Amino acid sequence: MADSTQTPMFEIENLHASIEDKEILKGVNLTVNRGEIHALMGPNGSGKSTLAYVLAGHPAYEVTEGSIRFNGEDILEMEPDERARKGVFLAFQYPTVIPGVSMANFLRMAVTNVRNARAEEAAADGGVAQKMTPREFRRLMKEKMALLKMDDAFATRYLNEGFSGGEKKRAEILQMALLEPSMAILDETDSGLDIDALRVVSDGVNALAGPEMGLLVITHYQRLLNHIKPDFVHIMMNGRIVQEGGPELALELEAKGYETLRAEFAAN
Amino acid sequence: MDATATTTTMTTTLAGFSREAVEELSRRKGDPDWVRDARLAAWETYESLPMPKRTDEEWRRTDLRGLKLDRLAPFAGFNGAFDGLASLDGAAEDGGLAIGSADQRAGLVVQRDAATLHAEMDPALVPQGVIYCDLDTAVREHADLIRQHFMTEAVPVGFGKFEALHAAFWQGGTFLYVPTGVSVELPFRSFALSQEPGASVFTHSLVVLEEGAEAFFVDGYRSETQDRQSFASAVVELILRKDAKLRYVQVQDWGRHVWNMMTERATLADDSELKSLHVALGGKWTKNSIGSHLRGPNTLAEMLGIFFADGDQFFDNHTWQLHEAPHATSDLEFKGALKDGARSVYSGLIKVYEGAQKTDAYQQNRNLVLSRTARADSIPNLEIAANDVRCTHGATISQVEEEHIFYLQARGIPRTEAQKLIVEGFFRPVIDRIPVEEIQDFLQGAIARKVGF
Repeated sequence: MADSTQTPMFEIENLHASIEDKEILKGVNLTVNRGEIHALMGPNGSGKSTLAYVLAGHPAYEVTEGSIRFNGEDILEMEPDERARKGVFLAFQYPTVIPGVSMANFLRMAVTNVRNARAEEAAADGGVAQKMTPREFRRLMKEKMALLKMDDAFATRYLNEGFSGGEKKRAEILQMALLEPSMAILDETDSGLDIDALRVVSDGVNALAGPEMGLLVITHYQRLLNHIKPDFVHIMMNGRIVQEGGPELALELEAKGYETLRAEFAAN
Repeated sequence: MDATATTTTMTTTLAGFSREAVEELSRRKGDPDWVRDARLAAWETYESLPMPKRTDEEWRRTDLRGLKLDRLAPFAGFNGAFDGLASLDGAAEDGGLAIGSADQRAGLVVQRDAATLHAEMDPALVPQGVIYCDLDTAVREHADLIRQHFMTEAVPVGFGKFEALHAAFWQGGTFLYVPTGVSVELPFRSFALSQEPGASVFTHSLVVLEEGAEAFFVDGYRSETQDRQSFASAVVELILRKDAKLRYVQVQDWGRHVWNMMTERATLADDSELKSLHVALGGKWTKNSIGSHLRGPNTLAEMLGIFFADGDQFFDNHTWQLHEAPHATSDLEFKGALKDGARSVYSGLIKVYEGAQKTDAYQQNRNLVLSRTARADSIPNLEIAANDVRCTHGATISQVEEEHIFYLQARGIPRTEAQKLIVEGFFRPVIDRIPVEEIQDFLQGAIARKVGF
């Protein structure tokens, strides 16, 4: 999958992780390169969301074996915020409500932290550190909110408080748009969305994806993949990736269902 | 400003509270006879009342033993000399509540220890009959009003042991009187400062709003931290006649050597409205007793509170929502954060008297505990003697949720900043209810500094 002459951008190798001594991930291997869109599918409880959390650095999970390398650098020991500043982004399946923290204030802090880190890195490499001014931030936020068809009043609301399912997912993609990650993981971003909202969110993701970004789209259903077209499809069961292929695999899965696959997998 | 303030520059050496100390204070203040007599009568009341005990419900979680009254000077610092108002904002540069600019206030009284440093009021308010001055001036120039209202109605002399002590030893404070139908938009500011080591400071705020009057009053208590224990005693009396509207804000930012007792009672006549905010940041030990008597129908009392305890601070907030008349509304929200080894007690009573039908009372206390060694206690109480009322109360004691921190971290925000953001968010809904930008900014800054990490 990866160009062997280049360091893969995002490389998960033999990843084992557990929560409260229960092993959930049992040796996951997955590589995502720049410009690639990967879909990760699988039944409930197969470990997809756990993988997403572990990649982002959730403290409840313990990695017992394996590695995650981002641009050749092991990120396992990094705090979640450090990973985010490096360019890893997780769109949460269930975004957290944080009362009293306004969207605008939260976004400004996130953008300041991530972009400043990037600017400093650029400066260290001999480039020019360009930090964002408050005015630039406001303009950027407005522009990205328009892209996701979000009302201006959104910015003054408390973080995810009283948001509908669709609003929460849009807010996640808004964050992705503002932080411009190079590796984005979307955890069931399609769940809880009606057809129209699904289109808006998918259009938003497609507008952001490009040759510089790697995308891992976690979903149960083919329908999201009609909008966000994957280059590769991986199927996860019982903490491992059991099957891999091109976009046709998702269609096959849709037709056969996980049960058939489970039976095949058990038989092997 | 105060003529008596310059008569002596000597610091008192009189330790302990006594009848002789009352006489000495009265002499130095140059009290009129009736004031001296009232002080002495209050001293008798003080002596006749028992010291609160740990078995008293109100003092069950509040340990008074560390307050060494017999080692404290009951008053000090009669010298009112100072280097101008700007010099008093030294503390504000470190984030204290600022005295602020003259065009942003209707009046200003500054007390330091037993002296009045400054007293002013917008001259345009004089023809309207508004009075705003220090209490020493008030007892001389407005004796009838003071005799009528001072510790007679809202907080009577015999209210409790320490209120009686206050009535005997009050040595500064403020009197605001707004006559019938007069409305003043800008805030009246009052500052009580203290700098004498090992001494007591007594400050009093008496606010009387006549029928239909409207005002905004901001009390600030402030001192630098010192080595020796000090004692601060404050009494706040808020008297609202029919249709009056008062916004009251109190910011307590005493140094960490201060043992602080504050008793406040508001009395609300028909159709009047009180919106209050109490902010407690400083002091070593604080006992606040805050109550609203809803004495007339259709009254409204909004009572908000914010406290943030760190180090070995102790805060005790007792609140009373006293529904004595029907069709009244009270809405109380006290929020506190604690870190290090700090402790807090919140105890609130909603009391609905017989006949106070259609009462609508709400009481909420939320506490955010930021360390394993900090501890908050919350005791909500209801006492209801009417059958057609709506009373809601709730208390929570919680910690910052790891899921919240993780979410913010996943957006590139470092852990300490994430915690700060969450704590600020915890207080934000209360801050948003104070429509005064200057106070909002001050609170935001004070909370950010307290969070520190």
